[in-house]
Amino acid sequence: MNCETARRMMEINDPALPRHLESCPSCIVQRNARYYEAPAGLERNIRQNLRAEIAPPSFWRWSAIAASVLLMASLSWNIALLRPRVDPVPADVLSAHIRSLAGTHLLDVPSSDQHTVKPWFNGKLDFAPPVKDLDGFPLLGGRLEYFDAHPAAALIYGRRNHSINLFIWPAPATPDASQTRNGYHLETWSASGMTFWAVSDLNEQELKQFVSLYRH
Amino acid sequence: MDPARKLALFEESVMPHLNAAYNLARWLTRDEHDAEDLVQESYLRAFRSFETFEGRDPKAWLLTVVRNACFTWLKKKGQHAIEFDEQIHSVDDVPDAEAALLNQAALGSLNDCLEALPLEFREAIVLRELGELSYKEIADIACVPVGTVMSRLARARKRLRQCLEGTLR
Repeated sequence: MNCETARRMMEINDPALPRHLESCPSCIVQRNARYYEAPAGLERNIRQNLRAEIAPPSFWRWSAIAASVLLMASLSWNIALLRPRVDPVPADVLSAHIRSLAGTHLLDVPSSDQHTVKPWFNGKLDFAPPVKDLDGFPLLGGRLEYFDAHPAAALIYGRRNHSINLFIWPAPATPDASQTRNGYHLETWSASGMTFWAVSDLNEQELKQFVSLYRH
Repeated sequence: MDPARKLALFEESVMPHLNAAYNLARWLTRDEHDAEDLVQESYLRAFRSFETFEGRDPKAWLLTVVRNACFTWLKKKGQHAIEFDEQIHSVDDVPDAEAALLNQAALGSLNDCLEALPLEFREAIVLRELGELSYKEIADIACVPVGTVMSRLARARKRLRQCLEGTLR
């Protein structure tokens, strides 16, 4: 049986065809399977694509490239502007406060005497933190603290079972501010070329009272 | 190479095989629009790597690019998600589900039976019978040993026979 016969069998749905397929399946497929020719226009499209591929970038293409570069630059600039500039200081201050209470290192110099605490900082700091005795907020002592590689004085005051850390370091003046983070209250102010941060779990009112006593 | 010269060489050697490329893509994807897109894409891809082609048969080379584009696309589309395991799928014990599928798909014509073949079988048959490529060329294109091509062809033919039997009965 040759392929011509097979084709005729195919056309008339001859039941003998399947058996032939085993002996000559190729000719059946070759003769009868559809060969899809490329649709009209495909070759033209391909040729166009290839020409565009080797064509030097046109004026418009350069413009498009320039425009996208500008757009990207503008976008990144705006994103940079939009990103909130988070002041790391309050978080650092709070961490220092919590760290001092969590560990055993609350005090380098345990003393309720301002005349003992203040001299202790001599030679350890290049500034002189004002150490004061306060009515109702007993001084417990002092400690050396580091923020972002600069040293700071930490004065520790007590109020019932609460501790107050007062951090002091030289810095340009900033406006007074108070905030609450994770249930802790923070108060900051500036004076004589130094910045002050008072942190405690004490209620806000009493902490403000502490600040006002210290500042006057 | 000078771009204009590269283009001229490319068109001269690769363009004559457009029908073979389209036919393969059409059979593999079973969709005319997908086939057209994939062939266009393949020509661009082939042109970009034309420098590396040197000395190989342009038709086999082009069909390799087309075949890979189709397989990648089918995989992306999820149509080829079930990996085909040559060892497990022996035709002698066609599972019921598969036999049912074959019968359902066997709608009376050879073309339908061919379309219903598993992708790898269809590929082998189309390349061999319609693309008139040698076993070795098919093996290179499909990236399998010649023996695998031969066994795929044998199984494909057997399936075709079964499919037609089911149709003609």
